[in-house]
Amino acid sequence: MRRMLNEATAFREEMIGGYVAAFGRYVAPVPDASGVMAVGAPRAGKVAVVVGGGSGHYPAFYGLVGRGMATAGVIGEIFTSPSGEQAYRVAKAVDGGAGILFTFGNYGGDVMNFAMAEGRLLDEGGDVRTVLVTDDVLAAPPEEAEDRRGIAGGFYVFKAAGASAERGDDLATVEALTKRANARTRTIGVAFAGCTVPGQDEPLFTVEPDRMEIGLGIHGEPGVRTSELMPSREIAKLMVDSLVAEAPPDAGSRAAVLVNGLGGTKYEELFVLYDGIAPLLAAAGIEPYEPLIGEFVTSLDMAGCSLTLHWLDDDLRALHDAPAATPAFTRAG
Amino acid sequence: MRDNDADGGRLAQTILAHVLAAVEARELELGRLDAAAGDGDHGAGMVRGLRAAVAAADGPEGVAGDILARAGTGFTDAAGGASGALVGSWIGAIGRSLAGADRLDVAAVADALDAGQAMIQRLGKAKPGDKTMLDTLDPFLRALRRAVETGATLDAAWAAALPEAEAGMRATAEMIAKRGRAARLGERSRGHVDAGAMSLLIILTAVGDVIRQQAA
Repeated sequence: MRRMLNEATAFREEMIGGYVAAFGRYVAPVPDASGVMAVGAPRAGKVAVVVGGGSGHYPAFYGLVGRGMATAGVIGEIFTSPSGEQAYRVAKAVDGGAGILFTFGNYGGDVMNFAMAEGRLLDEGGDVRTVLVTDDVLAAPPEEAEDRRGIAGGFYVFKAAGASAERGDDLATVEALTKRANARTRTIGVAFAGCTVPGQDEPLFTVEPDRMEIGLGIHGEPGVRTSELMPSREIAKLMVDSLVAEAPPDAGSRAAVLVNGLGGTKYEELFVLYDGIAPLLAAAGIEPYEPLIGEFVTSLDMAGCSLTLHWLDDDLRALHDAPAATPAFTRAG
Repeated sequence: MRDNDADGGRLAQTILAHVLAAVEARELELGRLDAAAGDGDHGAGMVRGLRAAVAAADGPEGVAGDILARAGTGFTDAAGGASGALVGSWIGAIGRSLAGADRLDVAAVADALDAGQAMIQRLGKAKPGDKTMLDTLDPFLRALRRAVETGATLDAAWAAALPEAEAGMRATAEMIAKRGRAARLGERSRGHVDAGAMSLLIILTAVGDVIRQQAA
């Protein structure tokens, strides 16, 4: 695998360097920390929404930093959560006195490291809450839903958190709405091929030509199970059926829809998939609200995709519709 | 047995340097083990963490506990990830326990390893049998304790405990992961030893090498 690369050990630093050089109109580097923050942060009286995780998932997480979404993103090495020290420094840098909301995918490393940062901030008298993203329906059965990992649905969770903080909600309200956004978001993914980490020669896993992985991880983990390779229309049915079966209580009929490419499955293929998804959603009585199709949470060059449904109530719809301006996502409002 | 003084601090620096060399030599193997169920970066993360630990241990002299506490903080920050938090906090907890000891004897070392293991269990919420680094550490510490009760020296107790650690590590091949990213794979996590369990065995073996050379 050929990569745009100097030395593998410098990859993260140079990646952040190029990112902030290009997008200084939205973000600035956090001094002495591995992270970026929205231009103008900290803002007095506004809750700071701090996202983060390993890199290799762009636009998650640091591509979603900017007005109306995340206040800051903590950036780890490829597929490796940032340390508690870095999460602490980034949170300190953007604390506007109204409290900090950490929100990130539910992975052991992220949970441990952000918990260390939270503990230090609390010891110093700060007000900190954490909301884990747990949208992957195949990561654990429904009775263990809080143990599920976070994948593409994090996009809607961060959007809700950022919009709530932007309009001046207090920390308890931002936390409650972010939790509700997560509780009403479900994702299912499939993969056709593994990804290769820059500096390495081999992909993290391979998939036989006539097979596919169901229930992918976004760090090059193999799927939860393998299956015969299906045509797109059958993948669409598997995805819609799985998510509809897991609709939250009081789901209502309106859901934001995200078809996410993982890096190696391109836009035209995602449109083919959505051609199968749209009528199935209609048949299930779901009105798709402003569907998004593209790359929102990637896994380097992994081939595969996911479908996310984010069931909207009136509060979440207002947060969904609010303006946002980040390097990777803009909404005019 | 030695006083808990700056000589002990220099011994801690020697141990850290030896552990770094031992893990560097096995970095690719650790990566391959991790790729079986995870993202293949375990070896790279351990090396990144240990280099920072060795750098942090350099500098002002102190007792072994203070040196290790600094090393643990350096490890956690540089490595990142779950293993960064766990192994760095383990080293740090061992250091803080040793810093309060009167003498660097086998009982103080066993107590420090107890403190380290308690820290890992609190942070990672795993228990022995979950296919994690605890499957190396827990049998090692039990065997070390048994040897201490017979009056063994640190050198002899460590040597007696290492085979138990290795057996514990090997047993992870037949386990289903209960914690960490590998836990999402259920039955598919079976068949490979846990990369973290292997890392801890490499570390404990390297520490034993230095202890043996000191005793000789």
